[in-house]
Amino acid sequence: MIETVLKALFILLYATFVGFMFMGIIRIVTARIHRRVGPPIYQPILDTIKLLSKKSNITHGLIYDFGILYAVGATILAVMFIPLGSIGVLRAYGDLVLITFLLEIPMLGIMFAAMSSGNPYAGIGAQRALLTMLAIQVPLGFAIVALAEYYGTFSTYQIVMAQQVSGWSIAHLPLLLAAIAYDLVLQAMFGKEPFDIMIAPGEISLGPMVEFGGKHMGLLNIQHAIALFAETLFFSNIFLGGGVVTAFSSSVLNTIASLGVLLVKQIAVLLVATFMAAIFPRFTIDQAAKFYWKWPTIIAALGAILASL
Amino acid sequence: MNELALIVFTPLLAGVLAWLLDIRGLREAIGVIGAAVPLAYAAMLYERAAEGLSFAINLGVFNITFALSQLNWFFVGIAALVGFSAILGLASTAKDSYEWLFALMSLTGVLGVFLASDLMTFFIFWEVMTFASFMMVLHYNKQASLKYFLLSVAGAYAMLIAIAFIYVKVGSFDFGAVQAALTQDAYAKMLGGQATFSSGELMALFGLFLVAFGVKAGLFPLHVWAPDAYSETNQSYTAMFSGVLSKAGVYGFILMYLLIGTRLAVEFGAFRSAPKFGYIIAFLGGLTIIVGGLLAALQEDIRKLFAYSSISQVGYILVGIGVGTALSMQAAMFHALSHALFKGLFFLIVATILHRTGKTTFADMGGLAEKMPFTFAMAFVAILSLAGIPPLVGFASKWVLFEAVISQNLPILGGMVFFGSAIGFVYLIRFTYAVWFGQRPTDLDDTKDAPLPLAVAMAILAFFNVVLGIAPGLVARELNKIFGSDVIGGDLFILDLGFGKYNALAILTYLIAGIAVAAVIYFLGAKVRKVPVTDTYQSGNPVTMDYNLTIRRNFFLPLKETLSGWLRISFDRTYRDIGAWVEDFGEVMRNYVYNGNVQSYAWYLLLILLILAMWGV
Repeated sequence: MIETVLKALFILLYATFVGFMFMGIIRIVTARIHRRVGPPIYQPILDTIKLLSKKSNITHGLIYDFGILYAVGATILAVMFIPLGSIGVLRAYGDLVLITFLLEIPMLGIMFAAMSSGNPYAGIGAQRALLTMLAIQVPLGFAIVALAEYYGTFSTYQIVMAQQVSGWSIAHLPLLLAAIAYDLVLQAMFGKEPFDIMIAPGEISLGPMVEFGGKHMGLLNIQHAIALFAETLFFSNIFLGGGVVTAFSSSVLNTIASLGVLLVKQIAVLLVATFMAAIFPRFTIDQAAKFYWKWPTIIAALGAILASL
Repeated sequence: MNELALIVFTPLLAGVLAWLLDIRGLREAIGVIGAAVPLAYAAMLYERAAEGLSFAINLGVFNITFALSQLNWFFVGIAALVGFSAILGLASTAKDSYEWLFALMSLTGVLGVFLASDLMTFFIFWEVMTFASFMMVLHYNKQASLKYFLLSVAGAYAMLIAIAFIYVKVGSFDFGAVQAALTQDAYAKMLGGQATFSSGELMALFGLFLVAFGVKAGLFPLHVWAPDAYSETNQSYTAMFSGVLSKAGVYGFILMYLLIGTRLAVEFGAFRSAPKFGYIIAFLGGLTIIVGGLLAALQEDIRKLFAYSSISQVGYILVGIGVGTALSMQAAMFHALSHALFKGLFFLIVATILHRTGKTTFADMGGLAEKMPFTFAMAFVAILSLAGIPPLVGFASKWVLFEAVISQNLPILGGMVFFGSAIGFVYLIRFTYAVWFGQRPTDLDDTKDAPLPLAVAMAILAFFNVVLGIAPGLVARELNKIFGSDVIGGDLFILDLGFGKYNALAILTYLIAGIAVAAVIYFLGAKVRKVPVTDTYQSGNPVTMDYNLTIRRNFFLPLKETLSGWLRISFDRTYRDIGAWVEDFGEVMRNYVYNGNVQSYAWYLLLILLILAMWGV
């Protein structure tokens, strides 16, 4: 019992810390692409501390507060189900379909909170977020179907173990197609250009986030950090072989090594997304829907059909 | 008197009494008791469902027979529970005794359909159910009721032809006898012997049943009656109409599997691991999910939105039934239960909103969450359940369904159900935004919360949404009993399919823990100050209540534009065109055949005599 609580606490702290580092990495890498120096890597942590310590906060009602808490809670829930190397609290229940859902439901909390503010920018932002979600769901669904059909199991942990034997998922053609589609979907899940339609700074004043300030925004920063960690971790687990290192005799060393391996893979996923974000301008929402329902869907559906043969 | 007869006939009796007495207060009491009796008896018969009760009345020409088994107990349970809640809601919203009569009559009809143990009884109660629901719609809108009536009649007579066809070949209406005869036929065919039903006959039989049950379930493209009929009637009644009556179609498909499924599978073979005929049902079900969902997102009327959403959700059930493995059947039945629970709840919420505000379009509403906190709380449960948010019942059933479909190596169906889950999210948020949040129109400032009967009815359904979501093992246990084997393993809180596991309790625990962690950070921060809705960012401009801040019209305009090519295809219009052609044809026949010319009638006589002469009479 106590061991489980400690593990859960460790996962939570590690995910938050690494997530903030990821946010810092994105900012530095983007800056270097633009030939700027950029902020220090720990800048997002400073931002969050500043937001959390604001003296005056506003609220538009109960749902405005609860939506934020729900979003953070649901993100924490999602990260618990994804296998993190050999550390896992609930990895026995880390079902593909479940995690796919769990990665989406924090959005519900953010949208509930944003909408209850009654701001028209929040409304239009929620509309764009929902349509983006609808658009990515088709290729995402096919990618998940391809994985489940290829491995014959829905357990993420078993998929990681299967990759230990048969090589990374992306080494097999049907799953490579699924991975390409999923990587395009990740761009929208991270909220990065060209699919950052939901937030769209400069276009609709941050959309759903427009009314949040102070500790609400601070909590959302934490949520964003954990979500970034969870999404990259899930991708690394299902497509890049996860992190299972058994080279050392000590289990502690093995654990640290697998965390390190995972971290490298996660950063690789993150960098691909950042490079894409830095060079592509934003799509409009109908272009995004048409795009996701065309190429990624065809690629992922092809993968799913090949995997089921 | 036999318990089964009591379950079936008490609502009808109560309905007639309520109609005859027509005293305000008394008719409500009688009606609610009439709906409570089936619920009480269904609960009491829970233990005895395994023994198999039966009941028969001899009507001379044929018998009315009822029988209780594990399978139909499950559906009777759904019908009695949701029916009772709907009737309780009706106590607040019914305008006159007419509605009591037909609402209770349709409950009798649907209970009779679920309990029937021969094809003739099934058909009779099917017609009672259709007639009573038609009368309910007629009371509000003639146009909508006629559309419903015409499609239902087409379905019912398709069924009647199929039943007559089976009777001619088998010589019995009894489910047991028909099943045995067709299973035997299947074996005969498999072993290369002489089969009673030819391939063409079977295809016709399948087509007839597909139309018959497809109409009631709202299968694409036979769904066009549903948006009008569901919206143009008493919304408390729609809780039952959509929650339970659509399940009669679902039950019909299950029955089709039981009776002629083996024979059909043997005749037409399999597509991958699904039987070919089942794959047709599943594929149409998948299209139903997508079409219903997309159209739900584009509606501007709260009742229409939920009507299309209902169609979309029934599509899931049909996908599960179509795939046809034991697991997918269980998933379909599980989703039938959860659909009845959350859609019943949704329509009661709509009934409350309509009852309290008298408005149905999104353009007239907003900011009701502050005025109707209880109803909003119920809506919150229903939204989470329908959108498939763990740990509510809507997620558990959808999860089993997803895994059941995908594990059968059916990638296209898998993609379709995934799309359906996202579109569910999309239209629900639109409902949430336009009705509950944002700026409130000033004419809604003195709206009151739900009246007591509706509040109780909503609370009952919300309770089951939560409890069965946290403990999905309760449902899984019942479903396993129907199949006599542990298809879904696990215990009270865990569903174990072998290739996937779902632990509802862990989700609940960690969600609460996660929210607690967030709450700690939240409460460590400085105090919050409540600001009014007009104290908001509007590009730095001041805002007053004269500005409309909430987007109430055409919320999903970009979606509409993206789909504009597809939206030009409308089955509604196709049926209307066919109707117009038939009318024109009637007009032409009237003008040419009954032309009022005596001589042409003489010519007809001559023509017939000539034909007779050629025949050699």
